[in-house]
Amino acid sequence: MSEILEQISTVVIEGDLDEIVDLTEDALDDGLTAQEILDSALMAGMDHVGVEFKAGNMFVPEVLRSARTMQMAMDILKPLLAESGVEMVGKVLLGTVKGDLHDIGKNLVGMMCEGAGFEVKDIGKDVAPEAFIEAIKDFEPDIVGMSALLTTTMRVMEHTIKALEEAGLRDRVKVMIGGAPVTQAFADQIGADGYASNAASAADLAKRFAGAA
Amino acid sequence: MRTNYRVHSGVNFRMFSQDQLEELLLGVLHVLEYTGLEVHHEESRDILKKAGAWVDGKRVRLPSYMVKRSLEMAPRSFTLFARDGDRKHDIHIGPGRAHFGPGPTCPNFIDVETLERRPYVKSDVPLVAKVVDALPNIDFCESLGTVGDVHYDLGALYEFAGMFPNTSKPIVAWSYDQFDSAGIHKIAVTEAGGQEAFEKRPNYVHYCEPLSPLVSTFEALDKLVFAARNRIPLVFTPCPIAGGTAPVTAAGIITQAAAESWMGLTVAQAIQPGLPFIMGGVLSVMDMNSMILAYGAPELPLMMAGLTELAHYAGLPLWQTGGCTDSKTFDEQAIIEGSLSVYFSALTGGDLTHDVGYTESAMTGSVFQLAAMDEAIGYARRITRGIEVNEDTLAVDVIHHVGPNGHYLREPHTRRYYKTEFWYPNLCDRRNFEEWDMMGRTTMKDRAIARVQDILAAHQPSPLKPETEKVIREVLEEAEDRVKQDAWQNRPRAE
Repeated sequence: MSEILEQISTVVIEGDLDEIVDLTEDALDDGLTAQEILDSALMAGMDHVGVEFKAGNMFVPEVLRSARTMQMAMDILKPLLAESGVEMVGKVLLGTVKGDLHDIGKNLVGMMCEGAGFEVKDIGKDVAPEAFIEAIKDFEPDIVGMSALLTTTMRVMEHTIKALEEAGLRDRVKVMIGGAPVTQAFADQIGADGYASNAASAADLAKRFAGAA
Repeated sequence: MRTNYRVHSGVNFRMFSQDQLEELLLGVLHVLEYTGLEVHHEESRDILKKAGAWVDGKRVRLPSYMVKRSLEMAPRSFTLFARDGDRKHDIHIGPGRAHFGPGPTCPNFIDVETLERRPYVKSDVPLVAKVVDALPNIDFCESLGTVGDVHYDLGALYEFAGMFPNTSKPIVAWSYDQFDSAGIHKIAVTEAGGQEAFEKRPNYVHYCEPLSPLVSTFEALDKLVFAARNRIPLVFTPCPIAGGTAPVTAAGIITQAAAESWMGLTVAQAIQPGLPFIMGGVLSVMDMNSMILAYGAPELPLMMAGLTELAHYAGLPLWQTGGCTDSKTFDEQAIIEGSLSVYFSALTGGDLTHDVGYTESAMTGSVFQLAAMDEAIGYARRITRGIEVNEDTLAVDVIHHVGPNGHYLREPHTRRYYKTEFWYPNLCDRRNFEEWDMMGRTTMKDRAIARVQDILAAHQPSPLKPETEKVIREVLEEAEDRVKQDAWQNRPRAE
């Protein structure tokens, strides 16, 4: 691996927001392609972060800082990747369902998915089924993630999935759900494609859906 | 006769100095005055505005005089009464008194027969209430779960309907919305003998939970307004997570939680001056690896101790937390985390300490953890009761009488005190090895299970009045009818 790719990878792992922009531009000036920088530096760095996090050697704030660092590089690389027709890992649409204002878990999932290389659109909390449908049409995600903390709002996930079916959008996306009272059995029951018990495994699940892991 | 003699009754515990408490208090007032909260309840915003608050859209800021006045109006001491008049089950809230009880809304439960984790169901409620009724160191009742096998909007009603007949200890009633609250109140008022009788001798507390950071949700305030109008003692307790939905520092999360609770206090006192208000806040850390809200972390009892001291400094009782664990099973971790936190709660004199019996970070309720914690609370209470020093306990005469080489077993002094000076365990084993061996080498877990099963087989809670039984049936029938109506299902639930 070239020295600069290795440097970028290290900067991502360390979450060094001051260095990442210059290094990414230097790498492009050196003639490296956006694709090479993404695969061999940014994703390599984030993969390392994922391993260290699972081993208990890195913690959420550090992981989020690394993800943020990667995003700063992505802001530069995205137009170039689009020009050369390279696809991102995938697009994830996230929202906390109607009636529920608890969104700390969903926010974590968003940041973890960004760290895994996804383009993430977060449409917030208290999101009605119609708003999910609008956003799917507009953003065209590969994966839709829904969260709920309350046992009373959990079932709105089911309503939302039904609304996607009625709108003819269900086959276009994978639906993943999560939140403290949510279980795999509930996911199966309401016809979601997957369930994750925490933000890191949600990002892993998204990667599996996108065929990237 | 002793003059100018100072007594320390019990163990002295103090974390903050006067200066630190004043700084915390001023921090809370500053947040309420300059940052304010989002208040998602139009009626409450109107009430607050009339009382002097600055309302800008949903954002409400409170001038500090308003908050101070509300703190002054709320009582520091009051009594929660046993529904059956059993004075041993009354709870006297006031300085230096810590009380304990379970928590609400775990999705799962440890089955009392199979000992396996499974979803919480309606038939678990009476079992929990009976165990609460029988355990000597558990003072109030919550159900340890969300009833999952009834209509999804009726879990809280079935929960109260299951608890109320099975314990006469005061209940802290959680509910989804004001419809539940009205049903619960109807049941409790019937037993009390009418609204006026209830106001004189309240037999339950109403529980509301706002959202962190800094949001008073529609349901929390809608329920609060109902409780205040009906003069039901109130818990208003946010659940901020340090590093996630609150500042990472203990002082920061205490400040934010107090601001969140005192917005509720100010609405409640504007509606019903003098309403018993129990300040809340379940404070702990977000584990930065597992991302859970840690119920077994040492920061929980530490932050709760800080919040308790602030509450008491401000003149309010506190909804304390303890006896809970992140462990998934009845093991050493569960006992370490649970015991240390109840001991700390007891030291702080946290007024109503809840979540006793929570396992798996509040995901699973366990009556076995509850029974083990009953033992830990007894132990802690013996320590916090302290040492009484007077002429009789000093025993100088008795020492003189027995003299060198004597013994104290036959002394009247020994007979007089051995039951009150010593604490007697229910679950801890003090037999010698041979006896323990002969009795089947039981573990703490075996004995906790046996204790729960004995209670469930033999304990008879005092019965409800027949008219209350009837009202419970009516309230449940009405509720079942209500949830079948589309108009009710589609009612506006939030702003």
